[in-house]
Amino acid sequence: MSDKRNDAHLIQLTVNGRVHTLGVGPQATLKQVLREELNLTGTKSGCDAGDCGACTVLMNGRAVTSCLVLAAAADGAEITTIEGVAQGGELHPLQKSFIKHGALQCGFCTPGMIISSLELIGKKPAPEESDIKAALGGNLCRCGTYPRIIKAVKDWRSFEGVDLDTEPSDEGERDQIRTHSTVGRGVPRYDGPDKVTGRTEYTADIRLPDMAHGKILGSTVAHGLIKSIDTSAAKALPGVLAVITAADVPALRYGVSPARYDEEILARERVRYVGDEVAAVVAVDEATAEKAVQLIKVEYERLPAVFDPRDALAEGAPLIHPEEAEKYARNINTQVEWHFGDVEQGFAEADCIVEDSFVGNRTYQCPIEPHASVARWEHHAGKLTVWSSSMAPHYLRHMLSRIFEIPQGDIRTITPCVGGGFGVKAEATPLDLCAVIFSRLIGRPVMMKYSREEMFHHFRGRHKQYIDMKIGVKKDGTITACQSHILLDGGAYTSYGIVTAYYAGSMVPTLYKIPNYKYDGYRMYTNLPASGAMRGHGVPQPRYAFESLLDMAAEELGLDPFDIRLRNAMQPDTMTCNDLDISSCEFTATLEQAREQTGWNEKKGKLPPGKGIGVGCGGFVSGAGYPIYRSKFPHSNALIRLSEDGMAASLYIAAAEIGQGCNTILPQIAAEELGIPYHRIWLVESDSVLGPTDLGSYSSRVTLMAGNAVRMAAAEVKTKLLEVAGKQLGCDMHGLTARDGRIFVAEHPRIGMDWDEAARLAFSADGPVTGTGHYSPPPGLGGRYKGAAVGTSPAYSFSTAVCEVTVDLETGYVTVDDFYDFSDAGTVINPVTFHGQVEGGIIMGLGETLMEDTLVRDDGSLINPDLHGYLVPTISDSPRIVSRAVESYEPRGPFGAKEIGEGCLPPILGAIGNAVYDACGVRVTELPITPEKILAGLQKNREKTGRTP
Amino acid sequence: MAFCDFKLHKPESVTEACRLGREFGRTCAYMSGGTELLVDLRSGRKKVAHVIALGGLKELREIRRDGDTLHIGAQATLSEIAEAPLVHEVFPALAEAIVTMAGVQIRNLATMGGNFSCGVPCSDTPPITCAAGGSIVVAGPDGEREVAARDFVLAPRTTVLNPGDIVTAIRIPVQPTTSGASFQRFTMRRGSALAVASVSAWLNVEQGVITAARVVMGAVGPIPLFAENCAASVVGQAPGDSVFADAGALAAAEAQPISDLRGSEQYRRDVVAVLARRALACAAARAEGRTS
Repeated sequence: MSDKRNDAHLIQLTVNGRVHTLGVGPQATLKQVLREELNLTGTKSGCDAGDCGACTVLMNGRAVTSCLVLAAAADGAEITTIEGVAQGGELHPLQKSFIKHGALQCGFCTPGMIISSLELIGKKPAPEESDIKAALGGNLCRCGTYPRIIKAVKDWRSFEGVDLDTEPSDEGERDQIRTHSTVGRGVPRYDGPDKVTGRTEYTADIRLPDMAHGKILGSTVAHGLIKSIDTSAAKALPGVLAVITAADVPALRYGVSPARYDEEILARERVRYVGDEVAAVVAVDEATAEKAVQLIKVEYERLPAVFDPRDALAEGAPLIHPEEAEKYARNINTQVEWHFGDVEQGFAEADCIVEDSFVGNRTYQCPIEPHASVARWEHHAGKLTVWSSSMAPHYLRHMLSRIFEIPQGDIRTITPCVGGGFGVKAEATPLDLCAVIFSRLIGRPVMMKYSREEMFHHFRGRHKQYIDMKIGVKKDGTITACQSHILLDGGAYTSYGIVTAYYAGSMVPTLYKIPNYKYDGYRMYTNLPASGAMRGHGVPQPRYAFESLLDMAAEELGLDPFDIRLRNAMQPDTMTCNDLDISSCEFTATLEQAREQTGWNEKKGKLPPGKGIGVGCGGFVSGAGYPIYRSKFPHSNALIRLSEDGMAASLYIAAAEIGQGCNTILPQIAAEELGIPYHRIWLVESDSVLGPTDLGSYSSRVTLMAGNAVRMAAAEVKTKLLEVAGKQLGCDMHGLTARDGRIFVAEHPRIGMDWDEAARLAFSADGPVTGTGHYSPPPGLGGRYKGAAVGTSPAYSFSTAVCEVTVDLETGYVTVDDFYDFSDAGTVINPVTFHGQVEGGIIMGLGETLMEDTLVRDDGSLINPDLHGYLVPTISDSPRIVSRAVESYEPRGPFGAKEIGEGCLPPILGAIGNAVYDACGVRVTELPITPEKILAGLQKNREKTGRTP
Repeated sequence: MAFCDFKLHKPESVTEACRLGREFGRTCAYMSGGTELLVDLRSGRKKVAHVIALGGLKELREIRRDGDTLHIGAQATLSEIAEAPLVHEVFPALAEAIVTMAGVQIRNLATMGGNFSCGVPCSDTPPITCAAGGSIVVAGPDGEREVAARDFVLAPRTTVLNPGDIVTAIRIPVQPTTSGASFQRFTMRRGSALAVASVSAWLNVEQGVITAARVVMGAVGPIPLFAENCAASVVGQAPGDSVFADAGALAAAEAQPISDLRGSEQYRRDVVAVLARRALACAAARAEGRTS
């Protein structure tokens, strides 16, 4: 808000039926006025450029992006925000439909989606799918919930005058329904009602008294030495509270992996990419802070920079971390040399050897919620509270403790709901650190946020990989060897990159039996924003290469792509060549069902020109076997306490809800084990003072690990109740069962008592009824070689994806028409969230394969750090999707469950690539597969054969 | 980034708007829907001391028929234009072009007056208006004038508008029943995205022969580009696949694309050839009443 009150305009806005008379500055947008003046934070801020649609409100009945409306110019307007959609506490039928259909995940786009849908159904109460796609094309959902949103909008009238119950949706199609009460059923999301009404609080929605706002200045050069920094003009700007540079922050390096702490909070002498943090400002409001950072003058001595990992490796290339010239010789950040079995011999046994070079893309997670952090240093108590949009608040606390030299016990991390992460919010950011420094400095709470552009600079997106891969195959399709050489573009810092470099190799032998395997990996420093962990961490690009090579080998040998996959498919209870312990595995069943249910045999090679079908496979770990730093603490923990009347159980956890649905899955597991209905669980989450440690929502670990901890806590509570009930009923507690709110003799179900009565008796006798649970992966996972820890997991997921595409043979444009996914994720705890994750993984993978890439100019600056240059799939790009669970029972998972969130993505790239090849005979080995590359390939084929395909 | 400091003016008449514009000269910017200006102000591409909002000029929102002309008020939103029955009756290709643009939320704010005034090369309503033989009504401190749409944009982000000039209306002649038009656009995704290239084609077909043609390309040159050779090549011919394919190749040669993140120069030419052929074929079918 501008301080120039003399320029202020007095305006009247009718917001959700209430008339407000407001004085607003000329620069205030409608979005700012709604969020900051009227505290209607359900209207979200995602890009400030009209690209994402998160800030959509109705203005005079029309959906508009409120970031592109000046409030002063909207005088007299009637505005409806998400808070005004439910009337008198009664949800709008559309909101009920969103909940019932699982049409929301992280929830950050949900208010905008609902508002845009409202304009549509106002005009056309019975919209067709095409109407919905046209109406919502300007609302981005990075969780890829589009298929469910289409269903929800189409079906909204079914909820007119209908009470929203807590009954599960009928998506539960499986065996669990018979054996379990809650597990296996599509109960509505725990956070649904809050997310459809705009009540869910994200970090940027935090409002604290006296809160100040900070902003960071990034380097304008890609590689240089800081000669001087002049902060005087910034300090002199009215409203500025403090300006800091490297001299004012702890002089230590931090990062993710202790072996490679290479980041500075603010650059001390050297900047290593455009955007590298140099100075920061805190001011009374955000606009003042933004203006002040632009007044800081930094003088750089430019140094030669390197933007391609192949150049970085060359002799004589400029060193990006010369202060550790030996450790990072030739800019090699991490080097992996693995050899299992004997590839020479393996290739000698092969009848067919195929090899090719593949190049990946620098894709960005691009959550719609920008990173945000709020810190409050409690001077009187020596304690610190940090609210952060973090996927791994435990690591954040660990890092804060290390940097600021205060015990972890004195730090309270709170994770409000996270508006999408996909790996990008898994580490402490300069926002977190500067917010803490400022709060300590000025004695006020401080909020810091990234703009959309700053998000692209902070990056931590997908490593671009340069892959040379070769496989050897026998005539019958048996794989004899695989060898890969991969250069990973790591950018200027390590982030999660050590792990990425290992994952790029370790996961290749988990899907197919590969007796001989060699992997050489080099993660390189370049003068680009640091790459990090992105959904499917390090795996999708090598998987793309492998799945492409498999199809090439099949073609050469005259085999069907399914046959070659079935021939080599991983089987249960197998130790892979690199010592990974595969337990449950229904990979073969996913292949068989995919082949049968997609009509593969009738379609493959038989579709008209321009139409194609392709298969790709993948999978992932169900949680990393080891934490990022050495620790013997359990990876996940849980606490349960019953209400005194026995009608409810409070579940205390610290797992982070990032849209994946863990705050629904974990209460389901608790309810099932306790023997009460799901709606009797209260969830207390994401606060380190309340919930015991959980390592975080990364490596697809929460369902299995936190699920096990929750189940253990619930079992302890249940045992206490069974004991009490046994005494009361005069029978052996071991013969008792708890289910659906009753405790009864398993063999004589009519003999029993109400669950809550047992709970009251227990409380009356011994006080609070509690249970605790913890989970650590089985000890000793993995081999003894260097880097053997990466890729270890208690369990692995497997999936087969088939897609059908249409390629416009004149323009090269690819339309993905259909996707079918068959995933073995163990027992499905909740089919609605399960399919939601699969659909989202398909849509994110589709974007990654066909359109996404961050592009860099010759000077290292970014060409497309925005959502109109960096294109992600919209609802109009969303294919028809059929998702099927192919269940296994994983003995190490809660009720047999494994992961789904990440394993669903790696198959997508290969499936699309293989389908495009089937459609037009062009194999694009450099991602993304753009229309331009396809057209070039068609041209080349024409020159080769002298005719059109 | 924060906006630069500016004062906001909300003139209540066209005369006042023009007067303010002349007074502030280069230090001011007119704002229609704001969807382009506010992005530019935030990114720092533009810096001004005064923003003059035109959205309050209700008289510039009218869509009406003036004799043999369709009059579209410069401040009518793109959505209002695309929904107006009159537009569908007189020149449906304009509505067709609009619904391919951006998302609903932007179309509910943006205007054709803004589209023309910004003069952005990848903009979509100027080329189709050019194809229709439309014109732009400009009010300025010295009175009103009408400029042919094809003469309006001079260079990227530069137009014939002088300080104090505003667009008040877009005028499109009522089309002969023997004519047809089509707007074809190529983007990197189906949802809201900027054009890689667009081609607007307009044809008059009498007794099976093309008697007049206009082909205008967008996003492949500094301004909306007339593909003169392409258009000339079809006049006097009967509509047909090979005629239009040859014409498409001529359009590709006439395009002046640059290479950027949305495509290389060569790819854009390839796409123009396809779009031009499709646009001509579609326009011909409409002109002959074979399709709507």
